[in-house]
Amino acid sequence: MISSLIVSAQSLATQAQVNPDEVVTDFEQTLLLIMVFVIMFGLGAGLTPRDFKLALKRPQGLIIGFLTQFGIMPLLAFGLIMLFLFQLDPAYAVPVAFGALLMGAVPAGTTSNIFTYFSKGNLALSVIMTTNSTLWAILMTPLALAIYGSFIFTQEAQLEIPFTNIVATLVLMLLLPVIGGMILRRYSANVGAVMELLGGLVGVFFILFLMATWVPRNWNLLTTTPWQTYLVAIGLGLFGIFIAYGIARAIRLHPANARTIGLETGIQNGPLAIAIVLATFADDPNVGLILIVPALYSLFIVIVSTFVTIWFRRANIAAEQKIPNLL
Amino acid sequence: MRFTIVGAPAGGAPFGERSTMAQRPWLPHYADDVAPDLGEVTFSHLPDLVRASARDYASTIAFTQCMPNGMNGSLTYAQVDALSDDFAAYLREVVGLAQGDRVAVQMPNCLAYPVVAFGVLKAGCVLVNTNPLYTPTEMVHQFTDSGATALVVIDMFADRLPEVLPRTSIETVVTVKISEFFPPVVAGIIRMVQKVWSRTLPTVTVPHTAFQAALAAGRAKKSTDALPGYLAGIGHDTVAALQYTGGTTGVSKGAMLSHGNLVSNTLQMIQMCGGYMRPGVEVAMTALPLYHIFAFTVNLLGFYTLGARNILIPSPRPPSNLKRAFENYKITWVTGVNTLFNALLNERWFLDSPPRHLRASAAGGMALHESVAAQWRAVTGTPIVEGYGLTETSPVLSFNPFGPNAKDGTIGIPVPSTELRCIDENGKEVAPGTPGEIAAKGPQVMLGYWNRPEDTAASIVDGWFRTGDVAEMDADGFFTIVDRKKDMILVSGFNVYPNEVEERIAALPGVIEVGVVGIPDNKTGEAVRAYIVASTDVLTENTVIAHCRETLAAYKVPKSVRFVEELPKSPIGKILRRELRAEAVTSATASIETQGRELS
Repeated sequence: MISSLIVSAQSLATQAQVNPDEVVTDFEQTLLLIMVFVIMFGLGAGLTPRDFKLALKRPQGLIIGFLTQFGIMPLLAFGLIMLFLFQLDPAYAVPVAFGALLMGAVPAGTTSNIFTYFSKGNLALSVIMTTNSTLWAILMTPLALAIYGSFIFTQEAQLEIPFTNIVATLVLMLLLPVIGGMILRRYSANVGAVMELLGGLVGVFFILFLMATWVPRNWNLLTTTPWQTYLVAIGLGLFGIFIAYGIARAIRLHPANARTIGLETGIQNGPLAIAIVLATFADDPNVGLILIVPALYSLFIVIVSTFVTIWFRRANIAAEQKIPNLL
Repeated sequence: MRFTIVGAPAGGAPFGERSTMAQRPWLPHYADDVAPDLGEVTFSHLPDLVRASARDYASTIAFTQCMPNGMNGSLTYAQVDALSDDFAAYLREVVGLAQGDRVAVQMPNCLAYPVVAFGVLKAGCVLVNTNPLYTPTEMVHQFTDSGATALVVIDMFADRLPEVLPRTSIETVVTVKISEFFPPVVAGIIRMVQKVWSRTLPTVTVPHTAFQAALAAGRAKKSTDALPGYLAGIGHDTVAALQYTGGTTGVSKGAMLSHGNLVSNTLQMIQMCGGYMRPGVEVAMTALPLYHIFAFTVNLLGFYTLGARNILIPSPRPPSNLKRAFENYKITWVTGVNTLFNALLNERWFLDSPPRHLRASAAGGMALHESVAAQWRAVTGTPIVEGYGLTETSPVLSFNPFGPNAKDGTIGIPVPSTELRCIDENGKEVAPGTPGEIAAKGPQVMLGYWNRPEDTAASIVDGWFRTGDVAEMDADGFFTIVDRKKDMILVSGFNVYPNEVEERIAALPGVIEVGVVGIPDNKTGEAVRAYIVASTDVLTENTVIAHCRETLAAYKVPKSVRFVEELPKSPIGKILRRELRAEAVTSATASIETQGRELS
């Protein structure tokens, strides 16, 4: 169940013009699960309960994050669809648009926590935001789809949202390891710091692994997709990050929190979107088309976030206080 | 408390003849639990003091070194004691040093530092603290001037040794690692990061002994019978450390600090803090470098004497390096300079969760801005007081009393058994409220400058040390610094002597004249600025700065350079630095005010 949330490109392979031989193996899926767990455990080892208390004490970030997550992202997806996707043949555009809208309506994923960490953002806020948006998604994702969907689609689809799956993933892959890491740090700062370093290293490996395995697997898809679809799939994440970051900066949130909100908003839970499509449209002949944007998005968000993170890190180092030698 | 503090005997203070109220108007202003005199000092030398602490607090953690990511290592009092005995035995039995031989120590704050420093003292040798940021030229001067024959150096900076050693009398080199005494796995990771990632580990090409090998060799030769012998004949008046300072002429000189100086100043400082320093419970943030006299006396000696736990920070730059230390340890004391307090107050994480267990903070090294002090109190809810002193005075001379008697903006009142007075150019005491050079008398005043009797005679006159700082004393005996008598520039607590920088710049082709002054700076208190009359347009600010960087430590390098038509001069042709400074201050004040607004 959970593994299908993390990587479900397997089913995609047969249906979305992907070379059926290039499927993800069980081994790879298990490896990814272990990696995410180790990463989140390590990142958790850098946190203290006080970090969470502070993030909750100043709820502006959380509120802005919620608004950008469920206000901006679906609207952004809708705008991109209307502007670009509908230039294409409706037989292709409509199912692809559904996937794109869904991609804009799902909550934030664990990957956002990893990139927040590397961006020197506020990891505690990131974890709270992911948890918050994931729980709200049970209500907000269908709502956003219903609202924007009524403008685009003639038929209404009754979404199959895998509730148990969502909550189980949240608890097992995010909250549990983070709390475990925090406890470990309390017990030994040294073990915590070692785990954090290890988590960071695995995190880098994780990002490289995703890019290295997803590109060949989706090669066929990559070469046959029109530029409008690319623009939607890449633009959703890229613009999402910068719009949310811009809003957060404009209302004078601390740069670390603004970076967090940007990444948290722009980075959606791709695997969840894929799982929802598979659960809802398994028998639909268009399932391969609906999956195009979630699949492309999941690939490109890793690349986009990597560049954004490099930029954020530079900004952070530049903003560090330069003090002279003390005595 | 273990050490005895005897109050002033009835019928008169034990300290000199000048003890009446009129001459010591500060007497009523000590905190209630502070005796105005030190009383009998029962420790005969520094090893006596550190061994007593080790006995009383054997299993307590004495030092914890905390890296920016939270990785850490610790030593208990018993471990520090045993290891420094090993090192003493190594110096005496293996290296063959004799009593009074100088040992240069050059490392940032790390667990090896206390072991080495106490080891040197226990060996009866003289400690020569050396700034690791020194350039080869500065190292050569300090090593040759002190006549050091052994050097204990952090391996990260050992790449300068091939250039330095042949020009000195150093025969023995011991290298320490930053991760010394860390758990093996953590030490291994730190080592790997240094080697592979940050590439801060140069290959050491000169013959050297690794610290652990030195300790093992010392341990093998150590005998409990021999250890006391290393200290035979050592007393209060024996030199314990040569602490280098620019003094008045700009040539770096070694202030001879005796065992008595350092023991006394440690006890004076602790006594002055009264109930704010509780034996056996304090946890001190030691972000200032221990090689500097302030942290050496206050943190290394003071908190060690108290049975406190020193949290050693190898590098406080950037200030976010202190975050994990503040999170992971219940810090009760912070010692720092204005720059550090101000930097912390500009860190979001610090403002979000100021240390909850903090009791008090002490500032020194440079003037503590009243605004910084006020904000620190508001944020932490605990007192911060400013002290004053010089390398030559071990260093603490005065301290603001804790409690309601403190007067912000002043350097407080003399610490117990210390007398300060403001004198005019003829050495006569001036009336309260009148500016005069501070002269100091007390058990912490140095023996003199190493091998420089003329300088010593010029600075210690009739038993009074002339500080060169001009201050006013108010009717209550509180002192306020007015100006520095000399043109010395104070960059983050480092003395910069214009002569030295001017000489360096004058060596550049195309420089006709140069005047170096200090200008107010938000971050460093003062910053070095050079005024140059040049014969060519080729000279630029960057070339001057680059030229200075070659041989001067970073803090001495001018932050700004101005090219001018001519320099203000006295009738006999002496460059008037005071006028240059006045001009610089007028132009700089405006910019500081703008910066201040941005910060708030």
